[in-house]
Amino acid sequence: MSLQGALRKSFAALQNHRAVWRSVLEECDPLMESLGNLGEQMQALSRVRVSDTPLGVFPDLQERLQFQLLQAVDVLLHRLWDRMSRLQAIRDSIGNQVSTVLQLYQDAADALGLAAATERSSVVPSLADMLGWLQDAERFYRRQFLQRKTLLQTLRLDDLAQVEGASKSWKSLESPDSEQQITDNLCRLSFFMESQ
Amino acid sequence: MSSSSTKFSAVTGSARKIKDNAADWHNLMVKWDKLNTDGFQFATNIVNMRNSQKHHQPLEDFPSASASQTFPSAVQQQAAAAAELQEECSKLQAVVDQMVVIVTKMEHLTTIQRGVQDLEEFQFGPEGRTLPLCHSWRTKDFEESSQVLLAAFSQELKLKQVILQKLAHTTASDLHMVYLSCWLHQPFVPAQTRLALEALLLETGHRLL
Repeated sequence: MSLQGALRKSFAALQNHRAVWRSVLEECDPLMESLGNLGEQMQALSRVRVSDTPLGVFPDLQERLQFQLLQAVDVLLHRLWDRMSRLQAIRDSIGNQVSTVLQLYQDAADALGLAAATERSSVVPSLADMLGWLQDAERFYRRQFLQRKTLLQTLRLDDLAQVEGASKSWKSLESPDSEQQITDNLCRLSFFMESQ
Repeated sequence: MSSSSTKFSAVTGSARKIKDNAADWHNLMVKWDKLNTDGFQFATNIVNMRNSQKHHQPLEDFPSASASQTFPSAVQQQAAAAAELQEECSKLQAVVDQMVVIVTKMEHLTTIQRGVQDLEEFQFGPEGRTLPLCHSWRTKDFEESSQVLLAAFSQELKLKQVILQKLAHTTASDLHMVYLSCWLHQPFVPAQTRLALEALLLETGHRLL
C-alpha cells in the first residue's frame, strides 16, 4: 500500500474511532452522575445517627442501607469498567493504525527525501503535517484514556466527598480545545481524502 | 413468561397450585416495583417542597390591603404551598395503601403454600413425597421461600409506613436524603431476596433452565 493510501485509511479510521469514543463517553455521563448521587446519599447516611431518628425502630437499618448503597456503587463501577475496556480498544486501534503508517513512512523516508515530505500545496497538507496530526490524535486518546482510567482506579469508597465529586472530576477531563484541533486538522484533509 | 414443558405437569392439584403461586409472586413483585418508582417520585416532590418552604420569606405581619388585591399575599402563597404538599402526601399515602394490599396477597400466597405443605405431610408423612413435584425442590422449600419473601416485603412495608408518616415533618436535609435512600434502595429487599424469586420461577418452570 502506498503511504498516501495508508494515510487516507488511517484518517478514515480515526473519524470512525472518534465517533465511537464520543458515544461511549456519552454512555458514561449518566453513570458518573449516578455515582455522584450515590456518594451524596452515602454522605448523608454517614452524618445521620439512624438510631436517633424515627427510623431507629429498625435496629439494623443503617447497615442494611449502607450495604445496598455499596452494592449499587459496585454495579455502577462494573458498568463503567465495561465502558473503559471499549475505550481501551479504541485507543489501541488508533495506536496500531498510527504505528503502521509511521513504519511505512520510515521505510520509505530515505527514498522520499525531506523535501517531498515537507512539500505542501494549497489543498493538500504535507506528509510531515499529516503524520504529525496522526501522532497528535494518538497522543490525545492515549492521555484521555489514562486520565479517565486513573480517576476510576483512584476512587476510594471511604472518601465519600471524592465519590460525590466524581462526576464533576470526570467532566473536567474533557479537553474541547484539543478535540477541536483534531477536528480542524481533519477538515484540512478533505481534499486529500477525496483525491486518489 | 414462558412455561417449560418439563416434567412439571399440571395434573396434580398441588403442582398446579405451586406453579400458579409462583406466577402470582412474580406479578406482585412487578406491581410492587412500579409502586416503588411512583412513590419515589412523590417522596422526592415532598422533600423539594419542604426545602422550598424552608427558604420561604417569613410571614408579613401587616400586608397592605392594596397589595393583596394584585399579588398573592404571603399567607395565600403559604396556603397554596401547604395544599400542594398535602396533595403529594396523599399520593404517597395511596401508594403505601396499595403496597399494603400487595403484602396481604403475599400473606395469602404463603398461606396457600402452607396448605400444600400440610396436605403433603398428611398424604406422605413428615418426609413429604419421594419424587419432587418439579425439578428438585421439596415442597417444603417452596414454603420456606414464600416465608422469606413475605418477611422481607412485610418489613419493607413497615419501613415505608414510617417514611410516609415522617417525611413531611422534617426539614433536616440529611435525614430527608436518608428517607429517600431507604425508599429507593429498599434495604429489606436486597438482591438476594429477588434471587429467591428467580429460583422459585426456575423451579416451577416459569423461567427456562
